[in-house]
Amino acid sequence: MNGLHGIIFSYEKRNDLRELSEIRSAASIPFGGRYRAVDFALSNLVNAGSTDVGVVLHGRYQSMVDHLGTGKAWDLSRKRGGLRLLPPFNYQKDWGVMPFRGKMEALAGVRSYLDTIRQEYVAMMDGDLVVNLPLADVYENHIKSGADITVVCGNDSFATADGTYYEKDADGRITEVLYNLNKPRGYRGLEVYIVSTTLLKELVDECNAKDQFSWRRDVLRAKKDTLNIRCYIWKGFAAQIRSVQEYYDRSMQLLDPAIRAELFCPERPIRAKGADKSSTYISDSGRCVNSLVADGCRIEGVVENSILFPGAVVEEGAVVRNCVLFKEDIVRRGAQLSYIIADKDVEVLEGRTLMGHATYPIVLAKGSIV
Amino acid sequence: MKKECIAMLLAGGQGSRLYVLTGEMAKPAVPFGGKYRIIDFPLSNCINSGIDTVGVLTQYRPLELNSYIGSGQPWDLDGSTGGVHILPPYQGSKGGTWYKGTANAIYQNIGFIDLYDPDYVVILSGDHIYKMDYSKMVARHKAAGAACTISVMEVPWSEASRFGIMAVDGNDMITEFAEKPKEPKSNLASMGIYVFSWKALRRYLTEDEADPNSENDFGKNVIPAMLNNGERMAAYRFEGYWKDVGTLESLWDANMDMLSPASGLDLLDETWPIYARSVNAPPAFLGGDSQVHHSAFNRGSILEGTVENSVLAPNVVVSKGARVSYSVLMPGTVVKPGAVVEYAILGESCSIGENCHVGGTPEETAPDSWGLTVLAPGCSLAEGKEVRPGVMLDRNGEEVSR
Repeated sequence: MNGLHGIIFSYEKRNDLRELSEIRSAASIPFGGRYRAVDFALSNLVNAGSTDVGVVLHGRYQSMVDHLGTGKAWDLSRKRGGLRLLPPFNYQKDWGVMPFRGKMEALAGVRSYLDTIRQEYVAMMDGDLVVNLPLADVYENHIKSGADITVVCGNDSFATADGTYYEKDADGRITEVLYNLNKPRGYRGLEVYIVSTTLLKELVDECNAKDQFSWRRDVLRAKKDTLNIRCYIWKGFAAQIRSVQEYYDRSMQLLDPAIRAELFCPERPIRAKGADKSSTYISDSGRCVNSLVADGCRIEGVVENSILFPGAVVEEGAVVRNCVLFKEDIVRRGAQLSYIIADKDVEVLEGRTLMGHATYPIVLAKGSIV
Repeated sequence: MKKECIAMLLAGGQGSRLYVLTGEMAKPAVPFGGKYRIIDFPLSNCINSGIDTVGVLTQYRPLELNSYIGSGQPWDLDGSTGGVHILPPYQGSKGGTWYKGTANAIYQNIGFIDLYDPDYVVILSGDHIYKMDYSKMVARHKAAGAACTISVMEVPWSEASRFGIMAVDGNDMITEFAEKPKEPKSNLASMGIYVFSWKALRRYLTEDEADPNSENDFGKNVIPAMLNNGERMAAYRFEGYWKDVGTLESLWDANMDMLSPASGLDLLDETWPIYARSVNAPPAFLGGDSQVHHSAFNRGSILEGTVENSVLAPNVVVSKGARVSYSVLMPGTVVKPGAVVEYAILGESCSIGENCHVGGTPEETAPDSWGLTVLAPGCSLAEGKEVRPGVMLDRNGEEVSR
């Protein structure tokens, strides 16, 4: 039996995501034409052989619960183990009002669940990370290196909202844990960790007893000299979806074939819930280039450098450039959109023109009619 | 578990008129319309009509079909009572035989049907593309107090002699049935979809089985026997899109119909969804120089060349400088740079080498005889190869005659 249990955190509210996170947690944001951010974490775990995954939720989780369902899409609908949804059942502070202040508080909130974990090791991941990690390799490295905790880092100091950055010695051991940096430096933490179940439970209990809630401050930084905390550097594509700008830039990167080849590599498929849509249709008048297009779309106008989710419609004479259109969006005749992220069920009426900019994409909230 | 109505889906035929496309799979498993297989239509019609118990009778090359149907979950046919059941021929204590005909296939599964003790049994074929509410047909059957109801549609008089033709009275009760009549008395053609009262059908199947001269076929034996005995036989008029895709030409036609909702086949209509077991792949990518017009495509595809008037299944690649026109490409087919594919049906996972030319237009072929070009699943063409219009190749690239 595979020894890796998954815990995915999907409780944080990211204000920088503006309208996109008004109705959902960051982890359930649609990404890449047919996925939700959390599909990546789930697929990474399943591809590494995990059969049991818990998802820690807090607030605005209707969208997440709808999406995950029984976990069937990831083969996590199982008789033993499988997907466990973990809405808070043991608030530490202010019953039902305050979000968790940190991962340790979140884990203390589901403390009894931790006792049910059958596996020896736990992989903790944030639900808003878009990556295709060889998690089986990370796990193997964790065991070989004798680390107490493995921290997975990107091979860059890319600025991400509320990011954690690490410095390491030549040996791979973490020497510094940094956050709230004005100018990021070191290795960007991907918020993916491997730790033994026993140690995790000890740490949760210890923090809880001291009223500590932060994993990075109260565990990683506080114990970097006493615990063997090592890093695993991932050189490939890894996007944290934490602001509108980051969402937009990272989405557009998918138009690059090399990045797609890496993120959607056939050895480790990213699984998503299938929408029952028919084929996408492009009419005689339609023109669609350099774009990622999901099933069930109807394109009669012009689409360039864009990402279309299932069921998006671009009518004749409409022009959509550098946009992300979510599920079931309709762009009516003659409308023109540039640098727009349109959430689900948006309708842009005939002849309307909306333009953002590459450095300021405009978000249209779910269901709006322009 | 008592059910009012269950469906039996005849999916055992080889579909020999699809030639190389059904070389290794039964006809109902043949990909259709980009993301579907033919069997998705009757299965989806069943669940949309409220029929949650379906027996699928298989015989010829069932592996692909079995794995496609699986637990039945994509069609919500995996309930704890009922669901979809694959029914191959089996051995009993007195031996067993292959399914000898459509009626014999049902006869051999009387035990299965009795498990559900149904009042009505709907008999379906696995080679038709249509959207139909069987519950309306069952309602017609009940209202008419019929032993058998046959769904019919009007066909052009000129084509009537190709079908099983029903003559009806003023109440649309069937008075006469003629298989491919030279001089048709009506233009109401049987669609091969029947509702039977189970008690009556059970009796006729048993009698038919006892008759050594019978071919054990619904159209040839059971229906005529019921008519001769004066059973109440109702016609149910169906209006809408319906096509038998048993031939290469009709399969191609139906795919092309899908591109034009005016044909009546509107798959975007979500009030009557057609479900399919979907493959897992990222969205399709259309390259900077791609030209895709009046075509349908699916996830996992990478289109960088020209695609016109074509239907592309998931995971199809059309490379730079390649052109695909008036063709049907099944899952996983790759068209390499500079290749041209015209008026062709390419089976699953074909590979068309650089600068190949597959098929041709009727205009350019004239005065030579023209036909669709068809490649068997897995056929791989080396660079620069030409395959003439009307030619059919098996998976090793050898020419096969029709």
